[in-house]
Amino acid sequence: MAAEQHTRDNGVKRRHRQEGPQKHIMVFVLSAILTLIAFAAVAAGGVNVVFAVILLLIMAVIQVFLQMGYWMHLKDKGHMMPIIFMLGGFLIAGTCIIMALYWVWWD
Amino acid sequence: MAQAAHTLDHPKPLGHGVKRHTGLMDWITTVDHKKIAILYLWAGGFFFGIGGIEALLIRWQLIKPMNNFLDAQTFNELITMHGTTMIFLGVMPVIFALMNAVIPLQIGARDVAFPFLNALGFWTFLFGGVLLNLSWVMGGAPDAGWTSYTPLSTSAYSGTHGVDFYTIGLQIAGLGTLIGGINFLATVITMRAPGMSFMRMPMFAWTTFITSAIILFAFPAITVGLVLLTFDRILGANFFEPGAGGSPVLWQHIFWIFGHPEVYILILPAFGIISEVIPTFARKRLFGYSSMVFATILIAFLGFMVWAHHMFTTGLGPVANALFAVSTMLIAVPTGIKIFNWLFTMWGGSVRFTTPNLFASGFIPTFTMGGVTGVMLASAPADFQFHDTYFVVAHFHYVIVGGLVMGLFAGLHYWWPKMFGRMLSETLGKWTFWTFITGFHLTFFVQHFLGLMGMQRRVFTYLPNQHFDTLNLVSTIGAGLMGVGTLIFLANIVITSRKPMDAANDPWEDGRTLEWSIPSPPPEYNFKQTPLVRGLDALWKEKVAGNKGMTPAEPIGPIHMPSATPLPFIMSVGIFIAGLGFMFSRDDFGGGFVSFLFNNYIVTGLGLLITFGAMLMRSLYDDHGWHIEPEELEGR
Repeated sequence: MAAEQHTRDNGVKRRHRQEGPQKHIMVFVLSAILTLIAFAAVAAGGVNVVFAVILLLIMAVIQVFLQMGYWMHLKDKGHMMPIIFMLGGFLIAGTCIIMALYWVWWD
Repeated sequence: MAQAAHTLDHPKPLGHGVKRHTGLMDWITTVDHKKIAILYLWAGGFFFGIGGIEALLIRWQLIKPMNNFLDAQTFNELITMHGTTMIFLGVMPVIFALMNAVIPLQIGARDVAFPFLNALGFWTFLFGGVLLNLSWVMGGAPDAGWTSYTPLSTSAYSGTHGVDFYTIGLQIAGLGTLIGGINFLATVITMRAPGMSFMRMPMFAWTTFITSAIILFAFPAITVGLVLLTFDRILGANFFEPGAGGSPVLWQHIFWIFGHPEVYILILPAFGIISEVIPTFARKRLFGYSSMVFATILIAFLGFMVWAHHMFTTGLGPVANALFAVSTMLIAVPTGIKIFNWLFTMWGGSVRFTTPNLFASGFIPTFTMGGVTGVMLASAPADFQFHDTYFVVAHFHYVIVGGLVMGLFAGLHYWWPKMFGRMLSETLGKWTFWTFITGFHLTFFVQHFLGLMGMQRRVFTYLPNQHFDTLNLVSTIGAGLMGVGTLIFLANIVITSRKPMDAANDPWEDGRTLEWSIPSPPPEYNFKQTPLVRGLDALWKEKVAGNKGMTPAEPIGPIHMPSATPLPFIMSVGIFIAGLGFMFSRDDFGGGFVSFLFNNYIVTGLGLLITFGAMLMRSLYDDHGWHIEPEELEGR
């Protein structure tokens, strides 16, 4: 009886646990491809510097979203709080960066 | 969290033959939120006492012009340590004491989400505080003000180890605060009783939640700042050294990006306490509950966008000053909402002026005065006049003492029976209130005028016949009266502790929230059965419906408990040793073995070894906790 009682708290349904590894593998491969593209753009040489920087940034942003969404499960249900707190963290970290650039670095 | 992990591995419950510690070991190893609350209260109260004595010494020096009771250096050390001690080691631990004592009970939980971390947070705070205060006997306290502005706080201008004690002591204590904040976030998000949606949470739980979020976002800033300053001072880095391309203003930015949210970390819990006390003793539901919630969130958000109002005179330019002036004044809007909501809660209620309610009622006008001077200070052009005068000192003491400390007194009197099972004496409580609030206004009201007349902050003495003499005398008398109020409170505690433990479940008789539905003090598992929450003010709702208590949300079953452990204590001792070792790593101990130990970071390494060893122990040995069986529950 006791053991059943103890499982009460585990009754919460966690859907992403049953999802299987396919998506994770896909995202992993995709991340690797994106990284390869970024590497190739620089390693090949001859690519316009401005273009390369923009390309790298775009690849980076896509990767961030993939990592957050799939590996950190932010796309799943019940992740409102982590999303809210991450956005809050970005907001405040961004404020600090702008402060440091505008008032300390460039001043 | 802890409840989820252990389940199916142990078909047989583990409850029997649990090792129980007694005496001092019980306190060192405890992971029970109620005991940690008491630890926080005693430690915070102790540092509060030290900070209070420092305040009295400061006021005694300023009682008359050209006084020579203290020299300038000692005075600088006293003002620095008064501010630092009061904020980081005095009021914040008492806030954590009340959060620990109340929040799990208010949300219907059996403990916080991470009981082990809870203990770790307390011990790192305590050892950080002890390290900071060791500076008094180890070569001089920090003397660069509680804000520790560079370049004053760099080795060039502050050559003793004082500021090192500040940076490393606060770093260790800050670790505890951050741990505590994360713990309460997880607790409020995951541990609420069935039926308690976010919008059914008591206001104190809400402000704890928001405060913890601010801690989460603000403390990393001070952590970084302290690391940079430590590197500048001990390892010879140049982050704040203009000669090498650094910027002293960077420290101010980092400090206030943390420092301004910090003042909301302090005041929001007080708002929460007041929002609990006033409805209870007005026998009315809190007016505008949802607007209170959104005002709290708005204050937290705006609190991060106003830091530069501490730096109007730094030369940020008119555009920046105007923007930060406006964003600062905006905070008056949600704060005003709160003030009016409290007034409307009292309006038409059958108000009982018990001690907690006296403090809460005293809080409202006093805090409002601090808010009004805050808006005055937010006006950038006027701030060029107010800056660094006693007007500023008066303002922040009105919000911190008149706001937060009054809130804490209200909360302590209100929840004392729940924490200790004994009602504090109402007579002595009222004496505490009247002496404290009279002393408070005597001390700080006159300081507004001292500031407007040009008396500067942080001066250790002043010349006679500048109209400063009488007002300073009045201020010192007031400070003495606040001291008397605090002593009466201590006497009240001592007298109460000798009385029998006979507080009822709901000693104020009008309790509205879940903590009043269980015995005072609660058993170690808090709730025999997790309660079912059917609305805001869960217990009041049941009372109105004519029910005797809460409806249980589960049958009686075995209750999982976390194991007591000395590891948090040992980890903190390790960090403490590492901090001291690092601080003295560049000192010349005259050669020999001691120099060898310190200069090669062997002491630091030893400390870190202890900490990481304890962490390894924690990681390698699974501790599944133990269970209290239904038979034991019924037997009690």
